[in-house]
Parts: sequence; structure tokens; C-alpha cells
Amino acid sequence: MSTSSLNPDAREGMAPYAKSRTQVVWEQFRKHQLALFGGMILLAMYIGTIFSPFISPYGLAEYSTSNITRFHPPTRVHFFDESGRLTAPFVYATKQDLDPVTFAQTFIDQKDIKCPVQFMMPRPDQPYNLFFLIPTNIRLFGVSQPCNIFIMGADLYGRDVFSRLWYGAAVSLTIGIFAVTLSTTLGLIFGGIAGYYGGWVDNVIMRLVEIIGAIPSLFLLLTLTSVLPQDLDPILVFYGIIFLLGFIGWGGLARTVRSQISALRESDMVQAATSLGAKEARIIGIHMLPITFSLLIVNLSLGIPSAILAESGLSFLGKGIREPYSSWGSMINQAQEGGFASIIYRPWMLIPGFFIVLAVLCWQFLGDGLRDAFDPRKRQ
Amino acid sequence: MLGFILRRFLNLIPVFIGATMLTFLVIQAAPGNFLDERKLDVRTTAATIERLERQFGLDKSLPEQYIRWLGNFVTGNLGISFDSNIAVWDLIAPKIANSAMLVFGELILLYLIAVPIGIYGAIRQYSLGDKVISLISYFFIGFPSFFLALLIIFALVSFKLQTGTFLLPVGGMTSENFDSLSFIGKFLDILWHIMAPMLALLIGDIAGLSRTFRAQMLEFLNQDFVRTARAKGLAERTVIYKHTLRNALTPFIAGIGGLLPAILSGAGFIEVVFNWPGLTPVFLEAINSQDIYVLLSTTAVSLVLLVIGNLISDFLLAVVDPRIRYF
Repeated sequence: MSTSSLNPDAREGMAPYAKSRTQVVWEQFRKHQLALFGGMILLAMYIGTIFSPFISPYGLAEYSTSNITRFHPPTRVHFFDESGRLTAPFVYATKQDLDPVTFAQTFIDQKDIKCPVQFMMPRPDQPYNLFFLIPTNIRLFGVSQPCNIFIMGADLYGRDVFSRLWYGAAVSLTIGIFAVTLSTTLGLIFGGIAGYYGGWVDNVIMRLVEIIGAIPSLFLLLTLTSVLPQDLDPILVFYGIIFLLGFIGWGGLARTVRSQISALRESDMVQAATSLGAKEARIIGIHMLPITFSLLIVNLSLGIPSAILAESGLSFLGKGIREPYSSWGSMINQAQEGGFASIIYRPWMLIPGFFIVLAVLCWQFLGDGLRDAFDPRKRQ
Repeated sequence: MLGFILRRFLNLIPVFIGATMLTFLVIQAAPGNFLDERKLDVRTTAATIERLERQFGLDKSLPEQYIRWLGNFVTGNLGISFDSNIAVWDLIAPKIANSAMLVFGELILLYLIAVPIGIYGAIRQYSLGDKVISLISYFFIGFPSFFLALLIIFALVSFKLQTGTFLLPVGGMTSENFDSLSFIGKFLDILWHIMAPMLALLIGDIAGLSRTFRAQMLEFLNQDFVRTARAKGLAERTVIYKHTLRNALTPFIAGIGGLLPAILSGAGFIEVVFNWPGLTPVFLEAINSQDIYVLLSTTAVSLVLLVIGNLISDFLLAVVDPRIRYF
């Protein structure tokens, strides 16, 4: 009798060996429709972020000082000319005007100045480096002066919201990943040390976790942001925010890792490794930490959406990303500029919010999918 | 019982000192102090600056400043606000009341709405209703609270422009004629103003809590004692409401104590967006002007509430779970 006939898998024509854990997890993950959907959207968003200067018709902080476009509403792209014939897409130049009744500032189309939408348009005055490497000045689309193409309107300073949305994506979408990577690393190191050594080290680390956890997180975060000087280079502010978000986020993971590690320390396999003469670093790194791997992945993917939310909140309050850089949170900040009911005159300033929702949602789906895939009790 | 409370208090002293010290150090690490702005003002003389420094103890060393503050705090003196030159307690007490009003009301509604939704989702798992609710709550969990608040303001103002009537006021806590109203009138006026911010808070929180409660119910519904209860032939209602719900509620009831400090900081962004005169806007202002004692004492008050909240949690846990006895 051959071994294969004993194996039920082999009878169904499948490979006669057990699946590896990675295979099982991947198969489970693929069954999670929402997670796949979330992953796909995220992939598209991150690819868009890499190409952000190419997709954006304007530069990060580009605005005209002669042609004021403060809170310019979204430009209408026309596909039909005056006689109703289908033509290449074009836009009209606009002129600022005052509404005679409400004195609100409006923009009216100047029907006599028509600019065709150009694709792969060179902008010699706004060069950029694609992928930070290749110097170029080609933009996916654009119009020449005196027309403007603001497909999502313009902000307080008359800058293109659509362009700043993509530049901001680079901040909003990556800050979460960096911050959570940092907090996971800290949680892993401190949790690992506390769990393995116990004693006073454990005591000190766990008190520190308690202290950080005791202060209301919004207050702590706001207090911490005041450490960043007002005149600090905005790029360094970006790193500073990553550091702050990482610093306040490691406690929960450290606690879980600590309890897992301290349980493992007493296990047979670790005792065997110790009696074989393995060094501490080897025991922790090779025998103990890999067991916390699934915990880490889930922690990463569920931590990212909350870090994105935290960053957007900070930037919304003006305590996060600073000008001239944009983040989705700081862009929404301008919606209430000049009276908190004034959003009604510039609803397009709320558009970045929907991108926050989309990104957070997709990360959440992805995280849930991964968690279920790693959890043996939830396998189907 | 008394011994237990005392032990808990003693355990929390190092956390209290550590957290206030951390806050103090962070504020001190921030560049400049509140006098910088005064120094730029040409009308301020060097003598005034010196007097202010002495008055607020800024001429002392850092450890001395901290210990002075701690000593004052323990005796109930929260220090003086630099910015408004009044006692910190007088500054924050009315704001705490405003924040508490908003969050406390919200929490009651939250539990009244989210728990039944969670129960429904668990006992009708994967039904159409459950799927719809799950999808909606998933959607709202992704909303930053300030964004949700802005959308609500947008909807309310649009409604006003369309129909000419205010469905709900979109900012502040009182109407302009508040002072002339009778007591009941004042109450109704605040109630009218609280609706929109409370709605913004509720939508996000219901989405979160109903999902965790559903998961908690499901966890117990799949356990052996529930199967046993069904096998004994108990009515489904008894199985769900007596055997499962009671167990599932335990951590939430115990968690009520933990919500106490949230009454201070919970409404956060919503207060800023809706112009609600709560604690978060004051805290933000204090950060901008580096008003040390406002920041430090506000954090300390929330820590005290955390300690009290933890005690309440322990007490409630002992009440709802007969296996736990501290005394």
C-alpha cells in the first residue's frame, strides 16, 4: 500500500504534503473579498502617490500673484463647443467678480478666451524629479495661461486642490506606515525586553507604558507637538510627527508582546535552547520573536489607519504638517477659514476628507482580512 | 474594601507623578516660554518681565518649579493661567462642565443605541440587516470625527439656505439672547445647541461600539455553556439575554469607569469644529501661548479622574461578576 492512498489530499489529486503556513494564510486571505478590494484600492492610491507630480497639473505651492484665484470653484471642462458639437476638451478663462447681492466673491467664465486641455504638457517653469530621480517637466494634463484648470477647485491661496491632494497623499499615506513601523519596533523591543528579563526592567518599562497610556492621547499628542519649533524646516516637522505618533503608540503592543514572551520563556523549547547553550539574543530573535509575527502584521495593518486618522487630526488643528507641504488633514483646515459656516461657499475644500475615509477604510479592510487569515479559529 | 482602595491609590501615585512629570518636561522642552511674546512688546519693561517671572516662579530651577506645582496641586491650588491671569481652576471648571455635558449625554445615548444594534448583529449574524449595519458602521469608523462634523455643518447650512429655517444651530452652546431666558428656556436652548455636536460624536462612536459589542456577543454565543443552556431546552430569550448578554456586558460595564477621563477630552475635535466652549479649545489655546499651569493641571485633573474611574471600574466589576471579590 502506497502512502498516497492513505492521504485524503492525495486522493483528490492534490499534493501529498502539508501546506506551509504562508500558503494557508494566503488562501484564507484570498477568500476575504473586502480585504482584496481594500488592497487593490490602496495599491492604486500608492502608485498614484509615486506619480504625484506627474498627475498634478500644478506644482506644490504654485499660485499666480497677478491672476488671483483664491477659493476658485472647480473649473468646468467642456467637451462640446457653443454649437453643441463634440470637440477636444477645453476650458474657459475666468475672471473674478463680486456678487452684487451678497458681495460674495465669484468667478465668471470669459467665453471669448478658450484654452484646450493639453495632455503630456511640458511645464518648463515647474520642473520636478520623477521618483526623486528623473528630472522632467512633463505633466499629465494642463492648460496654458491665462486659463486655469482646477478640477477640484482652488484653496485659500489660490493653489490647485487636485495637485495638492496628490502631493498631500505622499504625506498622509506614508506617515501612517512610518509611524506604525516605528511604534511596532519600539513595542517589540520594549515588550520583548520586559517579558524576557522580568524583574525591575519589566517594572520600569510597564510603568512607562502605563504613564503614556494614562494621559489622554489627544492632550499628550498636542503637548508633544509644541516641542517642534515654529521655524523648523517643514520636512523635519514631517519626521517629527512620525516620531511623536510612533512614541505614543507602542504601549499596547509592548504589553501583548511582553505577555507572550514571558509565557514563552517558561516553555520547553526555550529551555531546550538554553540548555543547548544558545545565547540570549539568539533565543529572543530566533525562537521567540517569530511567534509574535502574526501579531505584528495585524498590529501594523490595523495601526496604520489610526495613525492616518491621528495625523489628519493634528494637521487639521494646524499642529501637524506645515506649509508649504500639504496633507489631507491640513487641506480640510481651510474649509472653515473665515467663519465656521463658510464651508457652504467652498464645499470642494472637503474633498480631501473623502480620501482620508477611503484610505482608512481600505487599510481597515486589509487589516481585518489579515487578522482573520492568521487566526486559526476563523478559518473557513 | 478600604484597604483595597488605599492599595490602588498607592499603586497609582507613581503613574500620576510620572505622567505629570512627563508633561512638565515636554512643555519645558518646547522652545521659548510664554514671556517671549511679552518681551517682543516694546511697552513691556524689563522690570515687568522680572516681576512676572518671579510671580510665576519661572526664575526657579525646573525641579523646584515642578515640586512647587505638585505641592500646590495636592492642596487644591491648580496654579494661575499666564494668559488670562486667573486661577486655572476658575478657567477650566466651566469648560469641564461644558465638555462633560456633551460627552455624558452622548455616552448615555451611545450605550442605549449601540448595545441593541450589537445584540441584533450577533443573533442575526450574516442576515441582510446585519450585513447592511456592518457595512455602514465600517464606513463610519473610517471617518475622522472633525470631517464628520464638517459634513454635518455643511448639511445643516445647506438646509438653511434651501428652506430658510435652521434645523439645528451649527456652532456655540447658547443663543445670543441666552441671558434673558428663564431657567427652562436656558436648558432648552443648550439642548438645542448640543444636538449637532452630539450627533457628530454619536455616529462615529455607535459604529465603533456596536461592532465591538457584536464581536463580544459572538464570542460567548459560540461557547459551551450557551450550547448547554440550549440543550437543556431553555427558551432562546433566556439563552441570549440571561446567559450571553450578561457575560458580554461585563467588560463594557467595567469599562464605564475608564470613560470618566474621556468626559474631559472625549469630544476633542468636535468641540473645535462646532465652536463648543469645552476643554479642548482651551487646551489648544494654552499650547499656543505655552500656558504651563493650564496644560499641566488639566492633564493632572484628567489623571485624577482616571484614578477614580479605575476604582469605579473595579467596584462595578465586583458587582456584576460574582467571581471577583476584592474585599
